[in-house]
Amino acid sequence: MLKLRLFRNLGDQELSFPPEGVAIIGANAQGKSNLLEAIYYLETFRSFRGARVEQLIAFGEDVFRVAGQVVSGNDVGGSPTEVAAAYEGSSRRRKVTIDGAEPERIGDAIGRLGAVIFSPADMGIVNGGPVRRRRFMDVALSLNEEGYLVALQAFRHALAQRNAALRSGQLEAVVRAWDEPLARSAATVMGARRRWVSEWRDAFRGYYEEVSGGDSATMTYVPKVAVDDLPDDGIYGACRNALDVRWAVDLRRKSTSAGPHRDELLLALVDGESAVEAREFGSGGQCRTVALALRLIEGDSIRRARQSAPVLLLDDAFAELDDARRERVLGLMGQDRFGQVIITAPKESDLPLQGDGLPRWGINNGQICA
Amino acid sequence: MSVIQQLIKEFSRLPGVGSKTAQRFGYYLLKRPREEAFSLAAAICEVAEKIGPCEVCGNFTETAQCEICSNPNRDEGTICIVEEAFEVGAIERAGGYRGLYHVLGGRLSPLDGIGPDEISVRPLLERIRSADGAVKEVVVATNSSVEGEATAVYLEGVIRPLGPKVTRLARGLPVGSELEYVDGSTIVEALAGRREM
Repeated sequence: MLKLRLFRNLGDQELSFPPEGVAIIGANAQGKSNLLEAIYYLETFRSFRGARVEQLIAFGEDVFRVAGQVVSGNDVGGSPTEVAAAYEGSSRRRKVTIDGAEPERIGDAIGRLGAVIFSPADMGIVNGGPVRRRRFMDVALSLNEEGYLVALQAFRHALAQRNAALRSGQLEAVVRAWDEPLARSAATVMGARRRWVSEWRDAFRGYYEEVSGGDSATMTYVPKVAVDDLPDDGIYGACRNALDVRWAVDLRRKSTSAGPHRDELLLALVDGESAVEAREFGSGGQCRTVALALRLIEGDSIRRARQSAPVLLLDDAFAELDDARRERVLGLMGQDRFGQVIITAPKESDLPLQGDGLPRWGINNGQICA
Repeated sequence: MSVIQQLIKEFSRLPGVGSKTAQRFGYYLLKRPREEAFSLAAAICEVAEKIGPCEVCGNFTETAQCEICSNPNRDEGTICIVEEAFEVGAIERAGGYRGLYHVLGGRLSPLDGIGPDEISVRPLLERIRSADGAVKEVVVATNSSVEGEATAVYLEGVIRPLGPKVTRLARGLPVGSELEYVDGSTIVEALAGRREM
């Protein structure tokens, strides 16, 4: 059950989704992506399209609200959890509740839905700047690893303070007072990123190979602060050391140059002996395949962390894939990797899941008709 | 602006009070016997007139030096540094601490333009220096926020060369808590700060 109120063009609606899911068919600009955006908002409390929260409010209105009943785990029949989120533009207040109760931090409430979204914008993770790949890791880890989001926020906060101290020309002792909290949170963030990549790189390669049917791809964590074979508790020391070594540079540039804010997740295409960066040399289809493989491992890590199959949201994710690849992706998605499926397409023939047995809903000017 | 509105505006400046609550406060006072309003106003005036910072530690006081600084039974060898004066009250209520205090009146926050000169660091260093070795230990009790941590690191750097031992409050499990309900980052801290039994 999903209740929508003044979210983008979706107006006031209550939708009851069939347990297996639904295919939503409607012309462009009717609100298909808005609906997926509203559903996924309940997972991360931000727009998967990177829109600012004010932009999610219906035009000319002040407050939006989205509430969803989530049946947790695979125990259909268990009592559902209600996840609700609202935002008021005039007071800039965000409110999130779980079964009516406000969590201490909004971060405590993320990931309750359990969902993965595949969208055309995923290409940007592969061919955009490193910030897009860091954000991908950050979302996957925030949803699945306790304490990651708290450490990430502490890191960003300490970084902003240290950079402000550098810019305002404070004494060295004042600037470097931030080194300790900075390195401490950086070590947690980097340790988690390294662990996550090493846990999932084989699955990533496997998915890529299976979809491409030939060539291969690898995913490697390349931290700005080298931590090669250091144990987790050595990362803090490496970060402190990097801050020492780069002090003169930081002072000159008035900004902190070493830390996880400069990490890279290297995505490479492998053909026999040679490997090239997907970002620079990948074709449209290859980049799309890399993005799909990333989303598939994101789904796997959600399923493992929460022991239930995530909801699969498909927003026209198959453009640029040839039919053979498309068939193989669909094969992968069908193998109990996901639970409920909500898929959008402009017309019936664009649906990648032909004969999927999902009910068809229409959407016209934001109004969904079952 | 009518006097009622003026009052409501004043109330709405208080922390945690929005315009609706401020209105309730205002109309509530009007409904109650006048004496109540007078006695509230008198209490506020009295605080404003009489309470100021202690010239030694910065704690709230009615006299030049606060009750703690002028108490001969307190241990002058130990100074506990807190960010705000109301935190002195929290530690005092807990009991168990017999030393003196120093109130910083804030914490380092370059994003807000707050450096060491904007908080009470100089008077603290002067106080330790002029005690001429009598201060044996400084307990840094800044909050465990990112700013509190950085402030603690900075203070440690400037105090240690003057001689005293510098210590920091332990971080870990809240007393009486059940492990199951403690958040992850607190457990990580508690593990890092574990001690041999």
